[in-house]
Amino acid sequence: MSTLSLLVLILFGLMVLVGGKRGLSAFLSVVFNFSLLFMALLLIAGSISPLLVVLFTSICILAITIFMGNSDEDATTTAFFATIIVLLVMMALMLPMDYLAQIKGFANEQSEEIEAFNLLVGVDFEQVLIATTILSTLGAIAEAAVAIASGLEELSQHNAAITLDEIYRSGKNIGFQIMGMTFNTLFFGMFGGDLALFVLLHKLKENFGYYLNSKIFVAESMQVLYSVIAVVLVIAITTYLMGKKIMKQRQNGLSKSETGDQDEKTI
Amino acid sequence: MKKNMQKLLKLLLICLSGMVLVWFMNHDAFLYHDPIARITKVKQGKTVRSEDTYGNADYTTEQTVWMVVENGKYRGQKFKLPNTYSKSGGYDQKYKVNDRVFLIITGSKKITAIISNEKRDTYLVFLCWLVVVLLYATMQFAGLKSILSVLLNFVIFLLFVDLDVRLNLTHFFWLFALAALIFTGLSLFLVIGFNKQFGVTFAAVTSTTVLALVIGVLAMKVTGDQGMHYEALDYATQAPKQLFLAATVIGLLGTVMDAATDIVSTLFEMKENDHYISKRQLFKSGMNVGQAIMGPLVNVLVLIFFAETFMMALLYFRTNNSIAYTFEWTMALGVVQAVISGIGITLTVPLASFLTANVLGGDSHVDA
Repeated sequence: MSTLSLLVLILFGLMVLVGGKRGLSAFLSVVFNFSLLFMALLLIAGSISPLLVVLFTSICILAITIFMGNSDEDATTTAFFATIIVLLVMMALMLPMDYLAQIKGFANEQSEEIEAFNLLVGVDFEQVLIATTILSTLGAIAEAAVAIASGLEELSQHNAAITLDEIYRSGKNIGFQIMGMTFNTLFFGMFGGDLALFVLLHKLKENFGYYLNSKIFVAESMQVLYSVIAVVLVIAITTYLMGKKIMKQRQNGLSKSETGDQDEKTI
Repeated sequence: MKKNMQKLLKLLLICLSGMVLVWFMNHDAFLYHDPIARITKVKQGKTVRSEDTYGNADYTTEQTVWMVVENGKYRGQKFKLPNTYSKSGGYDQKYKVNDRVFLIITGSKKITAIISNEKRDTYLVFLCWLVVVLLYATMQFAGLKSILSVLLNFVIFLLFVDLDVRLNLTHFFWLFALAALIFTGLSLFLVIGFNKQFGVTFAAVTSTTVLALVIGVLAMKVTGDQGMHYEALDYATQAPKQLFLAATVIGLLGTVMDAATDIVSTLFEMKENDHYISKRQLFKSGMNVGQAIMGPLVNVLVLIFFAETFMMALLYFRTNNSIAYTFEWTMALGVVQAVISGIGITLTVPLASFLTANVLGGDSHVDA
């Protein structure tokens, strides 16, 4: 048995042991996401536009991550819409930025790994870059959006007289609490993977100016920065949408009871 | 009305600061030792269609680029250089007017130059500016504080990389294990402060990280590292297996911390609201919180690790490698890392709940 399959078995056993049914559904969502990612990769390798593929895959992954394992329908729908908006905004930001910064493709530091390949493979590496950057932030924005939406939903249920200002303030509070830890998760996740790269860059004894301009360093840093922007945006947008929705629900509730009164009067 | 004016003024100031910053970064050549040139004119040459043995069609285009040096002793010197770029752009660059590039200039009588790198600092700094502005706009100064912990961790990370290169230890894994301990302590301190809650969270994070890693290492031992191609690790300049484990620990930390803080802080809040809450009830609630965040957190990591291997895997697929071969050589290591992190996250749920319930359990009061 390979190390990977043994570890996957252990993960499966632990998740079911710890989470029961919910653990099983969490494990399944991970498997689904992984299969979707792999499919996206195969589609892009099959010459389908990376941006189109990633848009489609992202929406599927967001739906799986947000709707699976969360039962509160009102909050999850809002969270889902907020993440879709952020997805589109991020694409609009990345398209010009990545074009200008010229960070697509492979860097000098990777020459050893790619020397066996002919790189004229007919794939648009700029679009691939945008695709991978978007994929890497999806999990974090889904998590943040769900946390905010369900937190605010609960708040409005406990306190029916809550004002719009109070909702926004609470959204900010919850957002602040999850932001710090989400940044850490993203940072360690991304830079942990780049440990070897940093050791290599340091051994090359390059100066500070080199770091600020080298393709690989700029590309990795911009990836972390993009994900920070995405998380901040998703917090703001989810709070805004939830505030609007709660207010609308209340108005609907009020007008319904009003019309009800009128009906009684006419009778 | 007055408030609106103030808001408008603030907005104008922020926009202005961004514009000034971009302008400055475009004219900061004097700060660099290496010669930087601005491209003044580009002439497109002919485009050639190429096809490799796998039927991948691509186009390469020649261009002639005129440029003028902006700094140093060659300032004002003009060069005319040829450049070739491909449509896919995997390893080359298309130059346009007003791009800035680094040059390597050699020769004394007849000087020649080659382009060594593109100048990218403007865009990196601009994006940093955007992050700061967004954080300030949505959360005011509290937002900026939350990025402080990331910045501090980054500095410590670089310090340990420096130590690693300087000391050149045989068992350098322990160096990064120490770094991981410091990361945890610092991040938790910045979020929670130094109190009882900090102690419990710290204990939960370190014990689960160790446990998950031990499980990972044991699994590698039992299976004899089957399917683990450590030699496929990117940029490896040190013993690859240790490097892999060190990277795993650091990747593991962030999410385990995330899960542990969520659980521990919820339980502390519950205890504050109800001093007589039982151990059992606390443990149950902790498990409940943990079960809800487990799936999303594992997904966060799977996405990050997958995205990291995406480009390489694509290159393998386009050059007719089988799915199994591509997976084994480009993704397997990343997936193993993600799975070990998943094990860590899952273990955090009962461990953090158990620890907190025991510390808070019974009718003892919260000192923190």
